[in-house]
Amino acid sequence: MGGHSNWPEWIYVGIVIALMTWVGAEAWEAERLVEHVPEDAKVIKVTGQQWFWTFEHEDGTKEIGELHVEKGKAYKFEVMATDVNHSFNIHDYVVLIDAIPGRVNTVWFAPDKVGEHDIQCREYCGLIHYNMRGKLIVEEPLS
Amino acid sequence: MKWLVGLFLVVAVLVAVSALESAFAAGDEPGEYLDRRVIIWNLFFRMMTVAFTVGAVVSGTIIWLVWRFRESHPKAKPTPYEGTDW
Repeated sequence: MGGHSNWPEWIYVGIVIALMTWVGAEAWEAERLVEHVPEDAKVIKVTGQQWFWTFEHEDGTKEIGELHVEKGKAYKFEVMATDVNHSFNIHDYVVLIDAIPGRVNTVWFAPDKVGEHDIQCREYCGLIHYNMRGKLIVEEPLS
Repeated sequence: MKWLVGLFLVVAVLVAVSALESAFAAGDEPGEYLDRRVIIWNLFFRMMTVAFTVGAVVSGTIIWLVWRFRESHPKAKPTPYEGTDW
């Protein structure tokens, strides 16, 4: 077996290391950008429970099943649950985070168009999980 | 040929550094918000491109290897430790 050239193996190893480094760097960069919450983001407390969503704005206003936000502003969701595990998802804005009892998870987004979007639980949470929906309503900014 | 590994490592570090620089440069302007849809879907498409390219190269290499080094290939020559009585 001795005496044969092994440079193809070294090239292969080098390519794999370079690719994995690049993939890791790209993923790290995307994660960092997505998790960087803007300082002026408004906090909305989101509570999941069987089988509906409750939203509480910074001024104490509460909404059930519907969430009204303004276009062009950033919002930080503080997501929690009161009974079992849920998962808070706004599909159109690629917002997805688990709602876990006893824990607050955060995710942020900034709607850029007026419109209505579906909110849906993405973690099976019991009999009516399929209908644990909500509506995100993006409106023109008041000020 | 170990210099090749070093070369690839240097290239990998250069790519990582440029990625880090662009990461720290973006997303800090007040009032200008990143579109998470763009970031996430772009990452997905780039990763899929890499995955399919690597998949094609690896499977192509395996297919060529099996085709080229089959016993019935016209240019096949047995190695000494395999013997010659076939």
